[in-house]
Parts: sequence; structure tokens; C-alpha cells
Amino acid sequence: MNFDLSEEQRLLQSTAGQWFSDRFAPADMRRLLADDGQCVDRAALADMGFLGMLVDPAHGGGGLSVLDLAVVAEQAGRVLAPVPLVSTSAEAVVLLRGIGGRHAEALLQSIAAGRELVTLVDGVFADGDTVSGTSRPALGADEATVYLLLIGEANRRSLAQVRRGPDASPVSQPALDPTRAMARVRLEHARIAPLGSGGAVDSALARARCVAMSVLAAEDLGAAARCLELAVAYGGERVAFGRPVGSYQAIKHLCVDMFVLVEQLRSLVWFAAWAADHDPEQLPMAAAAAKGYAADAFERCAEACIQVHGGIGFTWEHDAHLFWRRAKVDRLLYGDAAAHRDVVAEAALATVS
Amino acid sequence: MDFDDTPEEALWRTSVRDFIGAHGDELPGGYERYVDREEKVVQRKRWQRLLYEAGFVGVTWPREYGGRDGTPMQQAIVTQELAKVGAATLINGIGLGMAGPTLIAHGSEAQKRRHLLPLLRADEIWCQLFSEPAAGSDLAGVTMRAIRDGDGWRVRGQKVWTSGAHYADFGILVARTDPTLPKHAGLSYFIVDMHVPGVTVRPLRQMSGDAAFNEVFFDDSPIPMENLVGEVNGGWRVAITTLMNERLMIGGGGADLGIGVEELLKHAAPHLSDLTPERRALVRQELGQCYIEALACRLSGYRRLTGLSHGQIPGPEASAGKLAGVALARQIADLGVRLLGDDALFAGDARGDRHWQYVMSSSPGLAIAGGTNEILKNIIGERVLGLPAEPRLDKGVPFDATARQRVEAAR
Repeated sequence: MNFDLSEEQRLLQSTAGQWFSDRFAPADMRRLLADDGQCVDRAALADMGFLGMLVDPAHGGGGLSVLDLAVVAEQAGRVLAPVPLVSTSAEAVVLLRGIGGRHAEALLQSIAAGRELVTLVDGVFADGDTVSGTSRPALGADEATVYLLLIGEANRRSLAQVRRGPDASPVSQPALDPTRAMARVRLEHARIAPLGSGGAVDSALARARCVAMSVLAAEDLGAAARCLELAVAYGGERVAFGRPVGSYQAIKHLCVDMFVLVEQLRSLVWFAAWAADHDPEQLPMAAAAAKGYAADAFERCAEACIQVHGGIGFTWEHDAHLFWRRAKVDRLLYGDAAAHRDVVAEAALATVS
Repeated sequence: MDFDDTPEEALWRTSVRDFIGAHGDELPGGYERYVDREEKVVQRKRWQRLLYEAGFVGVTWPREYGGRDGTPMQQAIVTQELAKVGAATLINGIGLGMAGPTLIAHGSEAQKRRHLLPLLRADEIWCQLFSEPAAGSDLAGVTMRAIRDGDGWRVRGQKVWTSGAHYADFGILVARTDPTLPKHAGLSYFIVDMHVPGVTVRPLRQMSGDAAFNEVFFDDSPIPMENLVGEVNGGWRVAITTLMNERLMIGGGGADLGIGVEELLKHAAPHLSDLTPERRALVRQELGQCYIEALACRLSGYRRLTGLSHGQIPGPEASAGKLAGVALARQIADLGVRLLGDDALFAGDARGDRHWQYVMSSSPGLAIAGGTNEILKNIIGERVLGLPAEPRLDKGVPFDATARQRVEAAR
């Protein structure tokens, strides 16, 4: 047994950490909140190979593992980087790989090369070969160039692609966390190109969601760990009643509670990513455990970070609320913590019946 | 990253399983934590000796002192396999987890030769004589005196919360040898023979009804020179080794504290259909939460174990395992009782089954024994996160100064 990252993964961790922190800072989110700027430089991301990490080398990708992607995602999460690792690098890629076929492979090539940003959109119904209506909010939809439309309900689902354009465009809505490019997509007689249908879509979708949840939990891990670092740093600097506030147990113990959450989350994230690579049977439980725990752990760390900072902690200028915004959105993606706890309970009870 | 045994580890695991399978009738059950009767002591000593003779106790210890020069992973495999069959922890757990590793690190050659083998074989049982009525979390504040007497010492005073003292043969003891020095600087670390004159052991009954721990009185009990561990007045450094090992022993390796989540699931499954849909949804939420937390505890234990097998020294971060494990054990125990319905109002059901109530009443102590939650949080906060230490009024002040002098000196 060896439950640790490999030498190569440690190297990837430090390379990615450096790259993200050179290019992004939580403060970018504040700018996005003000002026709706473009978040993603997808050419740079593609150059680093981050968009196509899970794409087959035959299609221009890295052929890397989900754990490798999780290692990168943790580093992106630390600086709240506005990058589509969850929606494109994880979910869309795994879904397209699961569907297979000429059109899916062409899209995978475009993703790896940084030509297209692809995101999955759910909650629309087809009428022949066109689609009209408004989708459910989708991660990355505000930035995507190609939408993968999930049409219909379980067992009778089909997947189709539609290019962003006048007949398929994101609906503008004030963002809670603008780095997530969250938007509903409005479709007006948009002509769709089918990619697959039936059971193949369901099984590919199930795996894609689990991988996306694992990678999202990895981003949350990085962000929660950063909240802890900010709180600890401030606890050591800020003086009250003649001593640093971090010397008071009320503050110190709050920070240790964060530490325990972060370390437990790290174990669950690694396990979920490992299961995605090596143990498909355990993946649904492992991914739900990681995502469900991440929802609570990151939210609690973000709120504790604000609390430790006192007055400055809830100002617009301080970064603490940027982590909090991310936490408040992420906790609800792919189902909230209650939904994931229920999935885990079902799997756990099945082991004793 | 992988969760598989190496071929060597797989062979080892098979040999452990074969041994357990062949000795099933000797196996003491997991809920016999309360060793009160002589025949239980005899049975559990016999079990540890059998296990030792098969090569499964003290696996990582040096071969020259009775160990096997094995790996932490091999020892963990033994622990895992014993846990799978619900075996009780070994009767000499304190000897194996705390006294032995401390002697290996700080003991003299003669001490190692004299004590380690009988400890491994459970011929001699050990207890830990650290806490006192007025010094628990603030352990360096112990007041028990060790006074020079010829070549050795005589000790006088009281220790408390001493698990297993009623059947122990030896204890590791921290006592004050120089009260004119500041508190950490005037302590020495001794091996004490529990059978010498002047040692009185009195059981203390816990809220669970158990009397697993004791108060121990020393009335001028002799300690010979050769039982000093480390230097005179250098006992604190030795005690830290013991405490580090304690943290690893309790929760650090990811083993269940108190009770496992599988037992809760087995208990809950048949009750679920009796509940209204609303209650069932709530119980499933808690079950899911417990299972996730238990998974995280086990996986975090695997991370620490991986670190150990790569040669890392266990640090204070291992206490995070105890904090998480204790919170989980308390939640499991409490949910287990609530699932009993009306019987949760009683200490047992009409047939006299007290299991879940017993587990519940054992669980508050978990957050205190082996380092309170609060002390562990101080240690993690200061040693791992690097937060500034709490000001201490007694820092650098001679221990025998009055309380007023200490406060003035601190100004």
C-alpha cells in the first residue's frame, strides 16, 4: 500500500502551482465582479496541456490520470483560477471519450488544442433536429464555444452538440462567483448534431459526473487550504490585548478545526481520483464522499477565514469573500452535500444487507 | 498510489490470517475492554504471548530485543486483521505503544535487555504514571517528588487515570527531582516496579460503569538508580517521546476509536424500515455523514502509515486523526442509541442488552483520555500551523515559587 502522490505528481504539483500563481490571483475575481471581463486564456491553458490532460495522446491529449488532473486542480483552486478544469478538462472530456465516435474524437482534439471550450448543458428537449428552450444553469456555459446538450431523461437520453451562436447563447445573470462562468443557455430552434444516445450516454454521463465531482473537490481542497493559510498568517500578525490573536485558543482552535477538515478532505479527494483511475465500482461512492465533504469543509473554512480576519474580513477589498463566493457556489454543484450523503448511505447500507 | 499489498505483504497477511483462524477459540472479544477479573487477565496475557510467539507482536522492534526488524506496514497488517475479527486490543497496549518505544529510544542497554522481551511476551504488563490530580493537560506541572536516597530515589505522591495499574507489573513514571528549577527542567523519568512496598492501587469507576483506570499512591516507594531513563532532570524530553507515540497509537493509524461504522450500519439497516419516510431520510443523512468521516479517518491513517514506511518520523499532525476519530466515535455511538427507539430511554433493553448505551457512555472519555481535544488543538495550532503560543505565567520560574511569585515573575 502506498497512499501518497508519486515523485512525478509532486513535480506536477509544483509546476502547476507556480504556473497558476504567476497568472492568477483571487483578486482577479474582484475585477470580474466589476466588469465582466473574459476569464479564460484557453491558448495558454492548452499550451500547458491542462485542457487535454485526460484526452488520448492519439487525439493530441496528455493521456494522464484523473489523479494527475486532481493535482493540477488543487493548485488552480488555491488562487481561484477562472479555468474550466471541471467543466471541460474533466466532465466534457470524459463524456466524449465515453461516447466515442468520429465527431466526439474531433471535439476532443479541438479541446486539447485549445480551439474549443466545451461544456455540458442539461434540461432541454428536442423537437426533431432542433432544440428550443432554456437550459439549467451550467458550469462554464458563459465561456464555452460548444455546448454538449443532454436531451431527454434517463434511459432515453441523447447527446448532441451545438455551437454557440445567435440561436444558442448564455443568458446574462448576475454572478455570485464569476470565475465559474455559470449561465443558463437559451436555445432558439438551434440545429443540433447528434453524438450518441441510449445506455451509452447514461453510462458515459455517470462516469463523467463522478470525475467532475472529484476534480471539483480537488479545487475546493486547494481553496480551503488557502483559507487556512490566510487565517493562520493573520492570526500571527494581528495584535489584540497585547498579543497576536492567533495565540488565543478561540482563534487557534478554529484554525485547527480548518486544518482537520482540509486534511480529511485531501484523503477523500485522492481516494476519489484514485478510484476514477483504478476502481470504477467504488467511484460513485468515493466521488460522492469527496464532493459531499468538500461542500461542507470548504464552506466552513471560507467562513472561518472571514471570522478570523474580523472587520477587514468582510470588506469588498479583502480576498476572504472571494473564497466564500466560490464555496457558496461549489457546494451546490452536482448536487448538494445532503444529496451526496444519501448516495454514500445507500452504498454503505448495501455493504451490510 | 495503490492500496494493494506487495507480494511480501500479501504473504504476511496470509500468515496472520492463518494464525487467527487456527486460534479463534483463544481470541478475546472486542468489548472486553474492561479487564477486571483475574481470569480475563490470564486469558489476555496468554493471547498476547501466543501472538508474540507467532511473530506478530513488536514487529518493528529491533531483533536483538525480541522484535522482528519488520516494517510499520507489517505491524499495521496485523492490527487490521485483528480488527477484522473484532479482537480486543492487546493487554499490554501501553507497554507496546508507549513504554517500549520510549525505552528503545532513551533506555540504557541494560534496561532494554531487562524489560523489552517480557513486555512483548506479556509476562510483564506496563502502565503509564503521568497524570496527577492537579496536573493532567499541564503535565509538566506534576508535583510528585522523587527524593535521593542512597544510590536511588524514593517517590511519594499520587498518580491518577492510570489504565491497567491494577494488573500492571511496571510503570513509566514522571516525577519531580528538582523543584527549584522551572517546571519542565526539574523532571526525571523512571521505570517503577509496581510490586515494591508503598504502592497502593485503587480502582476508579468511570461513567460507563467500567473501572479500567485507577489512582495510584506512592508512599516512599524505592526506585533504584538503574531505573532512571535518560538524565536526572532530563525527563521531559523522554516524556515527549512517550506522548508522540501515544498520539500515533490513538487514532493516528486510522484504526476505529471505540466503535466502527460497519457496526452502526449493521445495527441501523433493520431499523430503517420501521421509521417514517421523514425520519428515514434524516437517519440516512447521518449514516452517510458517519461513513464519509470514517472513510476519511481510515484514508488519513493510510497516509500516515505511508509516511512511516517511507521513514518519516510521526509528528504532532497525527493528533488530527484522534480529533476526527473521536468526533466520529461519539456520533456513531449516539446515533446507535437513538435508533433503539423507546429503549433509548433505558440503560439496556428488556433482555438486558446494554451494548449501545455502554458505547455511548464510554464515548465522552475519548475526547479526554490520551490528550484532551483542547490540548491536542493547542499542539497542532502551535507546532504544525505555527501559530503563536499562549503566554505562560510559569515560564522560566522556579517550580517551588508561590503562585504570587510566578505571576510577578511573568510580569
